[in-house]
Amino acid sequence: MSKSDVVVIGNGFAGLMSALVSADQGKKVTLLSYGAGTFPLNSGVIDVLGYDDSGKAVANPAQAVGAVADEHPYKKIGTQALEESVKFFQDVVAAEGFPYVGSLNEQQWLITGVGTLKPSCLIPESMQGSKCFEASEIVLVGVKGLKDYYVDMVAENLAKELGNDKKYTVVTVDPHYKGARDLTTKDVASWMDTDAGYSDFVSQVKESAGAGKVIVVPQILGLKGNVVWKKIVAELGCPVVETTAMPPSVNGLRLRDVLLSALKKKGITVIENSKAEEAVIEGSKAVAVKAGGEVRLQTYNADKFIVATGGFYSGGITMRDFGEAKEVIFGLPIECDCVEERWVNKQLFSDKKQTFAKTGVRVDATLRGVNESGNVVLQNVYVAGRNLSGYDFCFEHSGNGVALASAYKAAKA
Amino acid sequence: MELEERARDSADNCIACTSCVAVCPVTKANPDYRGPKLVGPAHNRMHFSDESDYEDSLKLCSNCKNCDITCPNGVSVATLNMLERAKYYKAHPEKHTQADQMLSHNFQMADMLKSIPFGRSCANLGMSIGEAMGMMGAMGIAPQRKSPRFATKYFRELYKEIKQPEGLTKEVLFFPGCFIDVNDPEVGVAFVKVMNANGYKVLMDDRFKCCGSPLVVGGYLDEARSHADSNVAVINEYAAKNIPVIACCTSCSLMLKAEYTELFAQEEMAQAAKNVYDAFEFLTILADQGELKKVQVSSDKKFIYHAPCHLRAQGMGMPAVDLLKEIGVNIDSADAGCCGMSGSYGFHKENYETSMKIGSELFDKINASGAHKVVCDCGTCREQIKHGTNAKTTHPIQVLAKAYEQ
Repeated sequence: MSKSDVVVIGNGFAGLMSALVSADQGKKVTLLSYGAGTFPLNSGVIDVLGYDDSGKAVANPAQAVGAVADEHPYKKIGTQALEESVKFFQDVVAAEGFPYVGSLNEQQWLITGVGTLKPSCLIPESMQGSKCFEASEIVLVGVKGLKDYYVDMVAENLAKELGNDKKYTVVTVDPHYKGARDLTTKDVASWMDTDAGYSDFVSQVKESAGAGKVIVVPQILGLKGNVVWKKIVAELGCPVVETTAMPPSVNGLRLRDVLLSALKKKGITVIENSKAEEAVIEGSKAVAVKAGGEVRLQTYNADKFIVATGGFYSGGITMRDFGEAKEVIFGLPIECDCVEERWVNKQLFSDKKQTFAKTGVRVDATLRGVNESGNVVLQNVYVAGRNLSGYDFCFEHSGNGVALASAYKAAKA
Repeated sequence: MELEERARDSADNCIACTSCVAVCPVTKANPDYRGPKLVGPAHNRMHFSDESDYEDSLKLCSNCKNCDITCPNGVSVATLNMLERAKYYKAHPEKHTQADQMLSHNFQMADMLKSIPFGRSCANLGMSIGEAMGMMGAMGIAPQRKSPRFATKYFRELYKEIKQPEGLTKEVLFFPGCFIDVNDPEVGVAFVKVMNANGYKVLMDDRFKCCGSPLVVGGYLDEARSHADSNVAVINEYAAKNIPVIACCTSCSLMLKAEYTELFAQEEMAQAAKNVYDAFEFLTILADQGELKKVQVSSDKKFIYHAPCHLRAQGMGMPAVDLLKEIGVNIDSADAGCCGMSGSYGFHKENYETSMKIGSELFDKINASGAHKVVCDCGTCREQIKHGTNAKTTHPIQVLAKAYEQ
């Protein structure tokens, strides 16, 4: 195996973005992947910061990011890298024909799969919930047989969010589905990708569409970028908005496909099903990682390594015995408030962050792991995404934002 | 001895995230299939007692392993499906069809034909007549397909006619696998050429049996176990002599390297696995050590590569493409997912439509590529590609052997 300039470990959003930014710097990149990352699970939207430390909704992410606590990854990444990373991402997806709208100066609004509103920062055009704000009538489309999408509940909750001065109409589309299993949004999206499915769908909602209205649909507008969305908006003559969804998330898969396509164009080598197990260290540098699926490990040599292995949630960090948290490949130093009374906040949806969620690798402003005295342990190993310590992405809605900005900074370093 | 870590226990690692459902080619093509998560891991935690417990879509899994590749938690999803299927057929042997019997036991037919004078020619003729008269459908085999013909000389016979150079000190043992042995022996011949050129003598051992992959998919798990035991004994015998075992078929190598241990959890199997290599995995190791014969190709003929799922599952990238690129071959990966054949799966009449739907993305890419030939390590993938396109196919070892000839 010939040597790479950069080996990226991890196949989630942070991993793919690290690889893309590195390749953009002219580097020869190898990406080690194990599993599909969180793409099939999240909605493929980029939350930068939804709520501040006290749980207050953030109106201007750029401003709020400037005010985070010292321990927060954004503090180390800095607003400049965050701004550049947002531009880089928007350029990449736009070049792939799948543009994302939004900026760091305001929030976008998503309609969730249960009809509530949720702030986010960068979202695909098909998911702009704000289109509903000015509409006089919201037409909510359900799909017969679709699992975990209760259109009446969506209508009821959305009315609570947007007010009863609007009219809410429910239409249920029949996809004439003959299979034996429950439908997922992915199934319906595949149906919408066919000409017959698309025409069938349009013929069933067309009557309810029209000026002044907005059509809200589950995440079903095709699997290929924004192709179906563009077509249907033009055909129905009014905005069409997709909600977020239960897994498998169609928009997560769209984003993954688009990023993989960009990766391929940049000539990045992706090794599938290859779990990084150990590092080869010489002095204060890593020279290789050993990774592999079956039987034997392959050695991947590089000048630089980016660890985007997903922290606790994805096995990048483990804790077999309480207090003994470990970064599994390089043994990077972990920052963790391992005191049993403080470890878990039993009120899951309260106004406090979870201590366990903030566990991660202690890094400096270069995103390299540092020991307690602040000295860098491995000169050429950088950390991105959920491996970083000091934030609770569920609480503050910052998951893909931290992933993007840290990937960018780690790759640029 | 039974291993402590058993793939069948990995169902408990499943967090029901549905990543496997999202990528499963069968789920995408066939709305009757409930998806890997609900068939293997979920069912594994229940027990079949009678037919009423049977999950209808269990038989639709093709064991292509895309679920394993995508699983973030190391669940052996496809193997769990196979174990559930075996459990069902053990309780209901009468449910096996004639097609199951035939497609899982092709090795028996191949051996029998070899023992009859003109057996193979007659069988090939019989297949042509059978296909022309539409008899395959009646046996449960997809009538649209042309069944792979038996070679007039199997590789095990051709091997004896090959004069390997004198004085080769290093040795490897070849595991030809059924398809190369009886249907496509030229791949074996090319392998011998390549290994000889690199200073290795190629050995054969008649005690090797079919790796068992078609038996596992057909639900004949006990038979597969007996094949595994005898193959593993041979492999370990050679391991003791430091002679590596090499396969050119990526489904065979996956079986020997990983699936035996996943299915049966025996220590000897895990031990044997360490002595088994895919051909290009082995050649890459030689290249890394600077021991691979140097050659540079100066043809601009364009090739397109299809990565078999059973290679992708092995977690070592695409060693054949990397190596062929390195020597100057103009080759690019199609990157179009599963071909839909999955060994014997696509030969079943009831799977034909699903199989062709799955392969359509690959067929389109190949047709649009304008490539001179399609390169692929797997014999049944090559059959599917020939059936779904008009392309010519070849094994990467044949491309390398040809490069050595120049």
